[in-house]
Amino acid sequence: MNEITLNIKFFGGFRKFGEGVSFAVPMGSTIAAIKGVLLEKLNGEALVLDSVLANDSEILRDDDILNSDASLSILPPVCGG
Amino acid sequence: MSATIHASLTSDKINIQNAYDFVADDAHGAIDVFVGTVRNLHEGQNVLGITYDAHEGLAKNVFTQICLEAQSRWQGAKIYLSHYNGELDIGGISIIIAVSSAHRANSFEACRYIIEEIKKRAPVWKQEHYENGCSEWLPGHSLNEANSE
Repeated sequence: MNEITLNIKFFGGFRKFGEGVSFAVPMGSTIAAIKGVLLEKLNGEALVLDSVLANDSEILRDDDILNSDASLSILPPVCGG
Repeated sequence: MSATIHASLTSDKINIQNAYDFVADDAHGAIDVFVGTVRNLHEGQNVLGITYDAHEGLAKNVFTQICLEAQSRWQGAKIYLSHYNGELDIGGISIIIAVSSAHRANSFEACRYIIEEIKKRAPVWKQEHYENGCSEWLPGHSLNEANSE
């Protein structure tokens, strides 16, 4: 099965895990599936469940599909201002 | 034609006069300015300062989008928005929003709209630092909700 490599950058409450994480998933994985892998990589960190994945221009929906390597960010609940 | 929106994320000290000067307009009889600052108490704990974190590219996009929405609702408004990114001591300015319009109601309402939307939608986070040596990332609004609306 072909795989793609994801680099996921951390912000806010995820900073405790470092700057980010990289891992491979099957080509054609959904964002929901990728969040599931991230949840495992971060030892069940509950913050993942309330967070979204985004690329540099937009937030990705759970049913979006990735077919190529990507640099993403995991965005926890926001509290600007 | 001069710009009617300034939306930025900055690590420089926020300057109130810059915001005022940007929105000042001979045709506008009202300027409303909101300044967010770091306070020294949160839920009973003495706060020493806050570290702001932001996704720079997305934050700028969201800031601009919110300002465009405000201009669509309150037409003719000129808007200056600048949000700080980095460490701030007590009293430091974390955000400034200035809105000018022909009459005061539009300025007040647009300014309120912008700060409330930023709190719900902008990818910005804050970590409070307490007198007892602990630090904590504050809870907030999940973008899951914003993305499904």
